[in-house]
Amino acid sequence: MYRIRFHGRGGQGMKTASRILGTAFFLQGYEVQDAPRYGAERRGAPIFAYVRADETPINERGIITQADLVIVADDSLVPVPGAGVLAGVDKHTVILINSDESPEVWKQRLNISGKVFTLPVETEDRAELRFIGATCTGAAAKLLGVITRESLSQAIEEELGDLGHAVVEKNLHKALTAFDLMKKHAGCVSTMEKTSAANYTRPAWVELPFEDARISAPSIHAAANSVQVKTGLWRTQRPVIDYEHCSGCWWVCSTFCPDGAINVTEQGLPDIDYDHCKGCMVCVAQCPPHAIHAIAEEVAQAEEAKGGQA
Amino acid sequence: MTEVKATFYRRMKDLPSTHLLGTGTPMCSGCGGLEALHQVYDVIGEKSVFVNAAGCMTLLSVYPFTPFRGSWLYTAMASAPAGAQGVRDALDILLEKKRIPPEENMEVVVLTGDGSAYGMGLSATSGAMERNLDFLYICYDNEGYGNTGQQYSGATPHAAKTATSKGPLGFPGFKKDLFSIWAAHKPAYVATVIGTEPVDLARKIEKARSLKGPRMIIALAPCPPGWDFDPKESVEIGKLAVKSGVWPLKEYIDGKVTHTKIPRQRIPVEDYLKHQGRFAHLFEPQCNDALINEIQKKVDDYWDEVQKTTSLDKE
Repeated sequence: MYRIRFHGRGGQGMKTASRILGTAFFLQGYEVQDAPRYGAERRGAPIFAYVRADETPINERGIITQADLVIVADDSLVPVPGAGVLAGVDKHTVILINSDESPEVWKQRLNISGKVFTLPVETEDRAELRFIGATCTGAAAKLLGVITRESLSQAIEEELGDLGHAVVEKNLHKALTAFDLMKKHAGCVSTMEKTSAANYTRPAWVELPFEDARISAPSIHAAANSVQVKTGLWRTQRPVIDYEHCSGCWWVCSTFCPDGAINVTEQGLPDIDYDHCKGCMVCVAQCPPHAIHAIAEEVAQAEEAKGGQA
Repeated sequence: MTEVKATFYRRMKDLPSTHLLGTGTPMCSGCGGLEALHQVYDVIGEKSVFVNAAGCMTLLSVYPFTPFRGSWLYTAMASAPAGAQGVRDALDILLEKKRIPPEENMEVVVLTGDGSAYGMGLSATSGAMERNLDFLYICYDNEGYGNTGQQYSGATPHAAKTATSKGPLGFPGFKKDLFSIWAAHKPAYVATVIGTEPVDLARKIEKARSLKGPRMIIALAPCPPGWDFDPKESVEIGKLAVKSGVWPLKEYIDGKVTHTKIPRQRIPVEDYLKHQGRFAHLFEPQCNDALINEIQKKVDDYWDEVQKTTSLDKE
């Protein structure tokens, strides 16, 4: 049985991507299960989707803990614990990741011995990001090696037909380009050997005791304890204030920021709370002297890591 | 006449520079509802009990986290005003029996989306106004059932595409006039607001706070995923809604409706519609002039009527 796990952020179309892949498998004659999983959080939050495909009826249910293929639509999810990108990954698992960094960098960074493939980010244009699901699905179909171009195209037409001809065409183009890109690696994903509980060996990891509840759990009666949730992790672009051009009219950005994540310093200057800024860029669009700029979050983080002022 | 003292909020500079509502909520990036709510909360303050009907904003307080500094109660979608009645009664009894001092009294605030306010919660709201319940009602109106994927609601505007209105003409119905429905109950106060007009919003919440009885607020809430636009456009689209006259800012008090911001030169509704994916079918593949003109005419007729009644007032 093929077990495939998609990771993305709410709004990137992972649910649809898993449906397309599932339908493509189905058209290829497989028994299929596909299901998304997400909590109460929506756009920007980590989203999972699972596809199982087998030649015989599938009796397995639930989330996929050990996948044959892990697809990551957004590389900023890798360090997010809640996203669980690396859950159950071993040398057998193939990882497909949407990232400008090379597979070698990811293999070294994550200390994994299995195969890693990357889909370079084509553009910074956020409007193009909505096609990332199609790109991932196209590449995945080729890596699996059992899905034909025709089945993939038909699946896209079936799943996206409602959205009109132009949307289907755009997604087809994205998916088939990625499909062809992975030609050299066709069929490199293999199904896992049957596992049984009887000969399960525990992994050699170090057990850490749980923290005392008073330390690990937040006080539920505390006021505004939601600040403990770092929604800054949602951000793909970072607004940066150029204080040389800031005219100090904090009442614009601080009031319009939907999250109230722009504080005002004693000097009367706005100060963005990057722990909680979700990167909507409303402040960038509204700043009267245009003193707030958007830079890619990964560029900002790389500069921070170098010790520079982001 | 109800006496309303001069406002504290005369210009943008008077708005609060520290925000009471906690960050770290699971609301979408660029949420127009959250933008309005954090502004509202700065004026209401922490001595409040939020009674929240099911909707996007019930996710504000997901155990164990909450952005509120006061209390919060979750109710079913149709019954937030009934929940508010219970909370108000309980507080009144505690006050009467001197089990809490007057300074511990709290403002009871209903918070619901448009699905609840315009639709399934309307009868409970009508009942609460009928009983002259002393409460504040905040409806964040993103013109559809946003939390479940933007199915149409009683607040969906004509021709908008929703998850349940996917045809080439979009939603065939018309947005319900909830302001007038509420005002017909003759409550203490009814107002429309929007987060992109924060001074107008702060003044209205301030005014509502100074009154007793049912005080009803509808906040138009531009919704990036539901209306299909880039989150950074959220404020711009709200401003266009006001400038085009699609979202009139007004208040009802003492039996009289006053428009608090009349756009001097209304921009064409097209400028508002074309920024949103939910209206894209009006422009592509061909421009549906008939439908755009129909929407424009509705807006023009509304403001013509406003003009007539305002000039009558002056006579």
